[in-house]
Amino acid sequence: MNKLIQNEMLKLLARKRLLIITAIVAILVAMFTYAQYKETQSQRERLGTMEWQSLLQQQIIDSQNRLGSSRISDEWRQQLQVSIKQSQYYLDNNINPSEPGAPTFVRMFIENSSDLFIPLLIMIIASDLVSSEHSLGSIKLLLTRPVQRWKILLSKYVVLLLSTSLIVLVTAALAYVISGAVFGYHGWTAPVITGFTVEGSNLNTSGVKLMDQWEFLLMEMGLVWFVAVVVGTLSFMLSVLIRSTAAGMGVMLAALISGMILSNMVSSWASAKYFFMVNLKLTSYLSGAAPPIEGMTLFSSVSVLFVWLVAALVVSFTVFSRQDVY
Amino acid sequence: MIHLHTKRVRYITIFASIVCLFWLFCLGWAVQDYYSAASPIEIKQKEPEKAVDTGKFSLVALGDSLTRGTGDESGKGYVGLVTDDLKERFGKKISVHNLGVSGAVSSELKNQMKQKEIKRQLGEADAIMLTIGGNDLFQGGQTLIDIETAGIEDIQEKYLQNLKDVFTTIRSVNNQATVYMIGLYNPFIELEDNETTSSIVREWNFQTEDLASSFSDIVFVPTYDIFQLSVNDYLYTDKFHPNKEGYKLIAKRISPLIKWEEEKK
Repeated sequence: MNKLIQNEMLKLLARKRLLIITAIVAILVAMFTYAQYKETQSQRERLGTMEWQSLLQQQIIDSQNRLGSSRISDEWRQQLQVSIKQSQYYLDNNINPSEPGAPTFVRMFIENSSDLFIPLLIMIIASDLVSSEHSLGSIKLLLTRPVQRWKILLSKYVVLLLSTSLIVLVTAALAYVISGAVFGYHGWTAPVITGFTVEGSNLNTSGVKLMDQWEFLLMEMGLVWFVAVVVGTLSFMLSVLIRSTAAGMGVMLAALISGMILSNMVSSWASAKYFFMVNLKLTSYLSGAAPPIEGMTLFSSVSVLFVWLVAALVVSFTVFSRQDVY
Repeated sequence: MIHLHTKRVRYITIFASIVCLFWLFCLGWAVQDYYSAASPIEIKQKEPEKAVDTGKFSLVALGDSLTRGTGDESGKGYVGLVTDDLKERFGKKISVHNLGVSGAVSSELKNQMKQKEIKRQLGEADAIMLTIGGNDLFQGGQTLIDIETAGIEDIQEKYLQNLKDVFTTIRSVNNQATVYMIGLYNPFIELEDNETTSSIVREWNFQTEDLASSFSDIVFVPTYDIFQLSVNDYLYTDKFHPNKEGYKLIAKRISPLIKWEEEKK
């Protein structure tokens, strides 16, 4: 088994996929860092001040003005109301929600990339783990070895888990190193408020906790990693089911994007919460944003994702052990 | 195939396994912490830093959609125009806090003034501009439909009470800065019943000015006359908010009044 895993790892490293992903992340992080830098500058220019209190106050006012518009949807209105209350809470307690520095940038970056960007990176690896063996024809060589099929598949899956872990780590590390060059490397111990609960447009602050940013960041990373594993497993299943890598990727991509769209408009369709796509934004439970459908909790989302994960594994292993290979 | 050292592959595998376990731990921690009972930690109420004069001129604008600049396609509104003018005249950067919220009525402004941060910004201000009351009076045109039943007097009384509270709050945190209270105009002056609506607006303005005069350094800036003769030239297509030209005229009223007297501080 160990040998098999080593063998799969060797194949992955030889194809330099991880390097390509690292390069993609590095380029994008550099771009975002620059964009963020520019935005802060223009904000300062506009308001003529650098105090975060004034900036946050201005954000609240801007959101309040958006609330006044009659064209916005009810869901959006609720989310705005929640975020206004949250900003106000930060302001009232004199805590800067985005202390300048690399750790804050990493936090923002991870939060925003958790439901699409990181899953996409994982897909680059996951979606052709099995199907590429078909297209290259090497599957026959692999299966003629005196090893049970499930072991072969398991070794591939383990490699997927390992590379997912590496990708999440690399993304965070690159975001830290690159953005730190501009924003500075400090801010690990900045206070972060968590434990908000959202009920409709109300924000319940009775259970709030204060923690250091590094603790908050690690928790978020754990959640992001879990989301990445689930998406990876689903693409892995598709890679077993569909022999064409492109088709598998296309299906997965469609699912992910539909999740983004659905999250913005499903609030009245309660049973949509059983789709894995609308449950991907786990980090918003920690930071206290309104979930896409009322009644969704961290536990329910993790459970839904876990069920999808197990189902995908069962399907993958059953199909792979019975599949005809020609 | 490229030859990779088996040793390197092994190291990477071992490292990745450790990372994998670490993330698993973080996941468990996150879920556990999320559901662990919130031990009510008192958030230390840090007192906001005392208002320091940064040597910059600080302009604060309060109020409703006029302060926001609704109707000006360039998005500046009178606040932006005044800012531009002051920048030119003072030859220095000035800091602007536009706290206007579209649709705000006087009671909402009163509540907004209770916020700590707003008070802090007001405390630092060198000049304060204010538009309020338009939404109280017109209620989106509702008042005009039934002038009789709308109970203008009640509305006006409440408005004046709220405005008094607003002025009091401003003076309690800042007794130096001049406040520019911008008066109402009658956007419906060319519609029927214009005599009634005009007299209501005039009375409204008079009461506002009267109240303003009971505080020190509150300047009432009239705008009624600007829109009196050719209202449609200066109104936006919604026939309620000023357009770019309208805002320019309002800004021209206020801007020359604002002086930077550093020695005052």
